Order: sequence, then structure tokens, then C-alpha cells
Amino acid sequence: MKKLKMEKIAKRLGAERRGKATAHSGYFGAAQLAEDISARFKVPASGGRSTDPSWDKKRLVPLASDTLKSLEKLSKEISRDGLVRVEPMQLAAIVLEKFLESVKESDRKTLIDRALQTLDAESSEEDMETPASG
Amino acid sequence: MTNQLKSWFQQGRKTVLVVLFIPSKERDGVTDVNQDYWVNEALEMFGRVFGGATAYPRAKGVWRDDEMQGKLVMDEPVVFHCYTTHEDIHDDDKLDQLGIFCRRLGREAKQGEVGLIVGNEYLAITDFSEGDRES
Repeated sequence: MKKLKMEKIAKRLGAERRGKATAHSGYFGAAQLAEDISARFKVPASGGRSTDPSWDKKRLVPLASDTLKSLEKLSKEISRDGLVRVEPMQLAAIVLEKFLESVKESDRKTLIDRALQTLDAESSEEDMETPASG
Repeated sequence: MTNQLKSWFQQGRKTVLVVLFIPSKERDGVTDVNQDYWVNEALEMFGRVFGGATAYPRAKGVWRDDEMQGKLVMDEPVVFHCYTTHEDIHDDDKLDQLGIFCRRLGREAKQGEVGLIVGNEYLAITDFSEGDRES
């Protein structure tokens, strides 16, 4: 997400900046997530279940059973409120987007470097374990 | 890699959350505010300016008035969630309309402070004088 120009916004509103506010858990965290989903999900013109129209790619993602169970549980809780129906993997996509939004621009390169180093290390280990052919 | 990351964050989507609190009591903590009127006014303003909003059922709240010797004002605010775009939240005209509404709420509903959350930052409006704020 592009950074907000909070100084300009506050000045124009005639407001005083009082600091960061976050709502990640509890009633408002859940309500915020449900509202977020509701705001972006649309029923496709061709019919079917609601989805975010900007999601134009599909990938097969391996998951641990516990992770899938957590997603299923949370999506059921959100859907039970009746505000919006969300599938576990749709929820996973939103959680992933929100995580990426929360990572500061300056931290992204570090995050990517670490991920690449981990992948390189794993790749090297696999190379060592694989017997030479020929 | 940076371009790939940037492509994840598409433009024009309603990803900026604006939260507004409509109080139930005046600053004295006793006099009722015509909350239904202000909820309808807020719905009209958010719909017209930002394209929509959701008002949640009344919540329980408390506010400490430091200018009144720390008196606690018990409140049952209605909380509004409005999702808007990065472009709209930086639009001078839209900010003016939001600011005018908040100051009118503060003035006419006799508040000590009107609270707004934009993105993830709390903004407090305490000067309720009329007129636009020039940047």
C-alpha cells in the first residue's frame, strides 16, 4: 500500500495527530476484517461465489494441516456473522496481502534477501544429498 | 523484484480505512446527543464523499476530559467504518467535506473532541470553528 501523507491529511482536516492505532484482534479486529472482505468481494457477472475481482491469478499453495484448520475455523466464524461468505483460501489470500501491506518498504528487501538465502541454503543441501549421475 | 512487489498493490482499490465515532453524550456526559440524526448525517456524508460506509451497533465507551479535571464521560458511540482509496483520502475537496462534517459534529453536538482514524493513525479534532482548512 502506498504510504499515506498523514501530515497533509491532518492539516487539511484541522486535526492533531495522536499516534498509531491498530485493531488486529477482538470485536473490531474481526469486524474490520469482515468489512474489508465485504467491501472488496463482488459476485462475478458470470455467477458463482463472491470473490475479489482483482484476483486474476491462481496458484497451488502447500499448507500444513493445522494452518488449513485455522483458516477453516476463521472463515466459518466470519461467514457465520452473515455479513459475507469467505472460503478458507480466500481468507488466506487476504491475510497474505495484509501481511505484505504491513511490511515496511525498508524491511522488504531484508525479508526477500533472507527468503532467498534460505532457499539457496535448502537448494545447496539438496544438491549435496543428490548422488552424481553418469 | 521491487516491481513485482509493487504490482501486488494495485491502485484505485478501497484499501484505506477511515473510522469515525458518533457520540451519544455531550461533553458534560449527561446531555443526550441526537445520535440517530448524526448517524444519518454521517451516512449521507460518507456515501456522498467516499462512496459508502458501515455503521456498527452502539458500543460502550469512555472518554477522559482532561480540560474538565479528568472527568470521565461515559458514552455509547456508533462506530463508522469507511473504506476509501489512496487518491480520495488525499483529495482536498473530500478532506474539506470530512473536516467540515467533523467540526459541525463537534460544535453542534457540544463535544470536547471528535476522533477519526485514518489508515492506522488516530486524528483528534478539537478546534470546531467553521470554514475550510487550507493546506
